[in-house]
Order: sequence, then structure tokens, then C-alpha cells
Amino acid sequence: MIRNPKTIDASALPTEGFGVASPTWWGTLGFMFIEGSSLALCAMAYAYLSRRSPLWPPSGTPLPNLAFGTVVAAGLLVSLVPAFLLNRAAKRMDRAAVLRMLLIGTAVEALLVMLRAYELYALPMRWDGTAYGSTVWFTLGAHSTLLLLDFGETLVFGVLLLLGPVEKRHFADVADSAMYWFFIVLIWLPLYFMLYVSPRIF
Amino acid sequence: MSAPAVVAPDTLARTWGTRRGIVGWLSTVDHKNIGLRFIVTALFFMALGGVLALTMRTQLARPDNHLLSPQLYNQFFSVHGTTMMFLFAVPVMMGLGIYLVPLMIGTRNVVFPRLLAYAYWVYLFGGLFLYSGLLTGNGAPAGWFSYTPLSESAFDPTKGSDIWAQTITYTEISMMAVAVTLIITILKQRAPGMSLNRVPLFVWSMLVTSFMVVFAMTTIATASFFLAADRLINTRFFVERAGGDPLLWQHLFWLFGHPEVYIIFLPATGIVSHLVTTFSRRPMFGYTAIVFATIATGIISFGVWVHHMFATGLPALGLSFFTASSLVVTIPTAIQLFCWIATLWSGRPQWRVPLLFVLGFFFILVRGGLTGIMLASVPFDLQAHDTYFVVGHLHDVLIGGAVFPLMGALLYWYPKFTGRMPSETAGRWAFALLFVGQNLTFFPMHVLGLHGMPRRTYTYLASTGWGSLNQLETIGSYVLALGVLVTVGNLILSAFRGRTAGADPWGADTLEWATTSPPPPGNFASLPVVESRDPNWDQTRPEDRPIVTGLPPERREVLFTTALDAVPARRIELPGPTVWTLAAAVGTTIGLVMLIFTPWGLVVAALLSAAPFIAWSWPKVGGSA
Repeated sequence: MIRNPKTIDASALPTEGFGVASPTWWGTLGFMFIEGSSLALCAMAYAYLSRRSPLWPPSGTPLPNLAFGTVVAAGLLVSLVPAFLLNRAAKRMDRAAVLRMLLIGTAVEALLVMLRAYELYALPMRWDGTAYGSTVWFTLGAHSTLLLLDFGETLVFGVLLLLGPVEKRHFADVADSAMYWFFIVLIWLPLYFMLYVSPRIF
Repeated sequence: MSAPAVVAPDTLARTWGTRRGIVGWLSTVDHKNIGLRFIVTALFFMALGGVLALTMRTQLARPDNHLLSPQLYNQFFSVHGTTMMFLFAVPVMMGLGIYLVPLMIGTRNVVFPRLLAYAYWVYLFGGLFLYSGLLTGNGAPAGWFSYTPLSESAFDPTKGSDIWAQTITYTEISMMAVAVTLIITILKQRAPGMSLNRVPLFVWSMLVTSFMVVFAMTTIATASFFLAADRLINTRFFVERAGGDPLLWQHLFWLFGHPEVYIIFLPATGIVSHLVTTFSRRPMFGYTAIVFATIATGIISFGVWVHHMFATGLPALGLSFFTASSLVVTIPTAIQLFCWIATLWSGRPQWRVPLLFVLGFFFILVRGGLTGIMLASVPFDLQAHDTYFVVGHLHDVLIGGAVFPLMGALLYWYPKFTGRMPSETAGRWAFALLFVGQNLTFFPMHVLGLHGMPRRTYTYLASTGWGSLNQLETIGSYVLALGVLVTVGNLILSAFRGRTAGADPWGADTLEWATTSPPPPGNFASLPVVESRDPNWDQTRPEDRPIVTGLPPERREVLFTTALDAVPARRIELPGPTVWTLAAAVGTTIGLVMLIFTPWGLVVAALLSAAPFIAWSWPKVGGSA
């Protein structure tokens, strides 16, 4: 057979890769786009309804507790430390360090999920009283779902690292889950501002 | 030791094939199987939606008719619209993309084949769910747009609007999964050498469409979630007296709804580009202009939604902006039209059946576009709003703009799907019937609309004088249905009787024609390397073509290339067949059905989907994740 000189030999190409060379990275990015947009839409609904309403929140409706909301937001920010270390360990393909950070991460996220559950429980209004209450519950609820999802993902990766067959390319998936963790935390900051701070300023 | 350059057919089948029997059928992750399933299922739903339309046309054939009660008529037009938009038009285009994209870009499967299999099952169950509502007297009654407050519990105490909202959730989950899969496949799995300026135009259109799906479908998914919550747990998003706003629904719905039209239309433009290129026997005139026009349409389409809301009393300044943006969106479409005409003009057109559908597309789409420009003007829109003028316009745009190219596409790629040629004679008859039927049915609607006939009303009085034109439309709708029947008959019979097609029966330019018809599991004996925009025209001798070697034939490995220039970056291994995708879809379905009765359905959906999802992602030693 005549071999075309432009024929490409792929046998020397790597079989693992991080970031743009990882399918999971792209999938995570797509998921972040979708989830980010739906949170942005919750915020748009909040903003739209606030502009249509003469009083926001409607008179007699107390605002959510600023101190506790701030504690949760700060807790989320602090949780970026294990997320950052997890990402670094994954990129070094250091199995022991990854496992350690996954266990710490799972514990930290479990704490955050509990704090968030209390944050929801302590909201001073119901979702079915006013549209204000509906938007607050849904914004907070949608973000909580993602937080829960990320907690589940970290947990599953922890179990995988403990029990499952691990190959080099799985470290890329762990790094991507750390990226998703960053997304969950960072997207909360503007939403926290909207729910807790903006009605007190404007 | 280097792997063989050309993989033997039986090795290919062993590595990339689907198991025989029922388990194989349920567990397949081959994009060709899944793509065809999407197409066939979407055509099935089109037939159901078509039967609803024919019944409505029969009801309207004469004044004061009582074939359908007002309530049933409401359910029929709502389910008809929901079917055609959510269960037919978008899925059929995505199905075509799922089948064709990997072939056109020269790879063996999509990047997340299991996600794609899951997406199909969820779509199928969601569609059946909508019809289970209609059959149990719980058909969605508030239009395909489900306007609040009409769709709120106070006005719709049935389960119809709940079922509508959950059907939307199903199809959105499905379409978003497909869109994300296609985006990544297109950006990262193109054959070496297929830089962005060599990507086939259909693939470009699917790329832009998929981005639009991700953003637009998120909007409707969020909105339908708000609606379901308003109905189920008494949230107040759209309830005026509790600080909510019914217009918020309209904003959210049309922020999705207008891009939706282009989500259907852009793949059709991609199809037209291929039909025009192949049958003009020359490369596309203005390739770059068409690509930019496609991207521009995608972006501008997100800025025109308020033109559906001109009659809601919004501030005049805002309306002027949306008139302007609605006029602007016609410019890129016009650019594409001129490029197609220039290609035909300067080529040697062969008037085969698929190209006839392109001519039909030109004629009807241009008329629909012109009535669209009329409707973009606020004073005219206020007169024609909610009349049959709008019904005529939207069916011209959607049938002329999408169904005609789709019919052309089904006949054009039929040899690739089945290995056999469709009947040219039946195709010509189908085209004639569809073209005549379309014009008889929908042109008189413009006239009736100008005479003031309102849409979504189950009957009219004889004294209005609308009877004869309505009768003409009803005859037209039956002609149209006959055209669909002839097409379906052609597609079924040709699978047995059609002439054997060979790899490239039309002498076309893109890579899907470089492999056998139908393509083997794994698509290509050896992965191609691309050196131009029309790879199948540049190198006639297959043995002279550059290929990719060195991928282990016994593993499901493909190349991951760079997004802009398609330079090979690494090898990735794709996952194989599994039934867990079906299990996850069943879990999602159980949860979403429960969700029309109790909010705990959400928890059930999450748990029942998550467990199989983890199972399908769990890595095997030496296998794939």
C-alpha cells in the first residue's frame, strides 16, 4: 500500500490530559454554563419582580438574617482552600494527597450543606406568601441543589480513590470536580449580595 | 509495534459494534443508532401532531361545526404546538446532527455516547407522557406557550399544565445533553486538518444551534420549573396579587421561544448548504459569509423576543428597539439566501428531488420572512395579533423554513442511512403534494387573518363569510398530509426495494460520503486526515488519502484535537454499551411523573437517576469511564 506522507501516526500521543485535553473538563464547563444560566435567571426573576413591586420586600416581610448568610458565604470561601489543594494534588497525580484532600473536602462540604440547610430553615418567610419569598427560596434552593450535587461528587470520588481502580486519567476528573467546586462558591457571591445586601442598601 | 493503518472490518465491528438481541438494542451507544432513533421517533410524534392538526382543520372546515368541543379543541392546539416544537422539530434536527456530525468531522463516535443514549430515552418517555395526558383528559389546555395566568391552577384545575411543564423538563434535559455532547464533539474530535474554516456548513449550523440550545433551553427549563412550582407548592412567581407578574412568564418564555425558531431554522440552513453544494457541483459561494451569518443569527435571535409581546402594553421605546432588532435578524438570513442563489447560479445544478425541496424552501421561506417583517412593525402587529395572519406566517416559516429542507435532507442522506436509494418518482410526487398543500393550507390564512379571524377559537359563524377559505385550507391540509404519507411510504418501501446506493451516490464533497453506506460500526476503516473544505472532491483515489494510524484497534480510542486548528493533542477512550443509561432514564421518568403530584418527585428523580449514573460512570480496570 502507498503510504501518504501526510499520514499521522497517533501511537505516540498521550492517553491522559488535563483541562482542554480532558473531555470531562469540557463537560463540566457545559454543566457550569447551564447551571450558571439558570441561577442567573433566578436572579433576573428576583430583579424583575423587585422593579415591578412598590416595596421590596413587601411590607411586613422581614429580610433574611444577614449575619448567618454572611457566615455561610464566608464558609464557602474558606472551603476554596481544600478545593485549591485538591486541584494541585490531582495535577501532581499524587494519589495519597488527593485522597487526603478528598476526605477533608467531603467533611468541609458536609458542614457547608448542614449550614445551608439551617440557612433555608431559618428563612423568615415562606415560599408561598409572596413572590418575593418565592424568588428568595428558589435562588437559595437552586444553589443548595448544586452544593449538594458537588458534595455527592466529592464523596463518590473519595470512595473511588479508596476502593476503585484508579488510572492516571482519573486525576483529570478529580481536578475538574475541584473546578466545579470553585464555580459553586464563586457564583454564590453575587447571589449572596443580591439576597442579603442589596435590599438593605437600595 | 505499530497498529495497522486500516482496521479490518471484523475488528472494527468487534470493538465498536453493538451486541445482538434485545440487550444490544437497549444498550447501544452508537451515534448512528441513536441519531436514527431520534429521527424516527420525532417523525412518529410529527404524525401524531399532524393527526391533531387534521382534526382541527376538519373541525374548522365549515362554520358552526361541532366535531370538537371547545375544551378538546384547546387541548388539541396546545398539544399540537407542543408536539411540533418540542417533540418533533428540535429533536429531529438534533437527531440528524447526532447521526451526521461524527461522520462529517471524521471520528468514530461522539464524546459522551452514554449521555446521548440517556437523552434519547428521556425524550421518548417525555413525549409519551404528554400524550398520556391527552388520552386521560388531561391534555395541556393553555397553548404551546402555556401563558399565565391561564395555565395557573385557578384557571386550569386539571393536570394538563403540570404534564406540559414536566414534558418541557424531559425534553430540555434531553436536548441540553445532546447539545453539550455535540458542542464538545465538534470542537474537539474533528479529523486532523479540519480547522474551523474547513468545517462543513451543516456542522457549523449544529454548533451554533447547540450553543443556542444550551442557553435557550435553560431559560424555558427554569421558567417551566417556576410554573410547576406555582401550581404544585403555591409559589407566587406569576400571581399578580402576591407581587408576582404574569408578564414575567411571557418574558422568560419568549426569551426561549424566539431563539427556538432559529434552533429549528439554523440546522435547516446547514442542510440547504449541503444540498446546494452537492447538486450545483461546485464549492459553496461565500462559505465564510454563511458561517458568520449563522453565528450572527444565533446571537441576534436572543434580542428579539419582545416582538411576541407587542400587545402587552410595554413602553413604546422598548417596542421600537425590538422592531429594529427583529428587522436586523433578517439581514444574515438574506446573506445566506444570496450565497445559495449565487452557488446555484454559477454551478451546474442537477434538479434531483432534494434540490426541489430547496426551491420550495426558498419560495415559502421568503414569503414567511416578508410577512415576518410586516409583523415586526408594531402598528401592523397590533392589528394582526392573535389572528390567522400569524398562524399563516409561522407555518410558512417553520414548514417552509425547516420541514422542506428536512424532507430534502431525509431523501438526500437516506442512501447513507440505509445503503439504498429512495424513489425519485415518489419523491417528486411528495414534493408536489407538499408544496401545493402548504400553499393551499397556509396562504389563505393570511387573508382570513386580515379579515379578522381570531386564532385558537374552535369555530366561527356562517355570517362571517370565512367558510369558503377555511374549506380550501382544510382541503390543503389533507393534500399536505398525503405528501407526508407519500414521503413516509417512500422511506419505508425504498429500504427494501431501493437501488443499492454505494458509498457516494450523489458525488458529494463531505466525509460522510467517504465511507460505506450504511457506515460500519466505528464509521471509518481508518480515520481520515483532511486537507481542504471539500475533502471528498479533492482526492479521488482513496488510497492516496492521508489517514491516521497508531490507534489500538481493539480499544474504543479516538483522537482529541485542538479546537481551532484540529491538531491531534491526545487519544481518548470512549465508553461502550450499557443498559444503565436506560435505567437512569427510567429513574428520571418515575421522578418527573411523581412531580406532578408531589414535590418529593424531585428527590425521587435525583436518587433514581443518580444511582445508575454513578454505575455507568464507574471505571473498569483497563476499560473506560
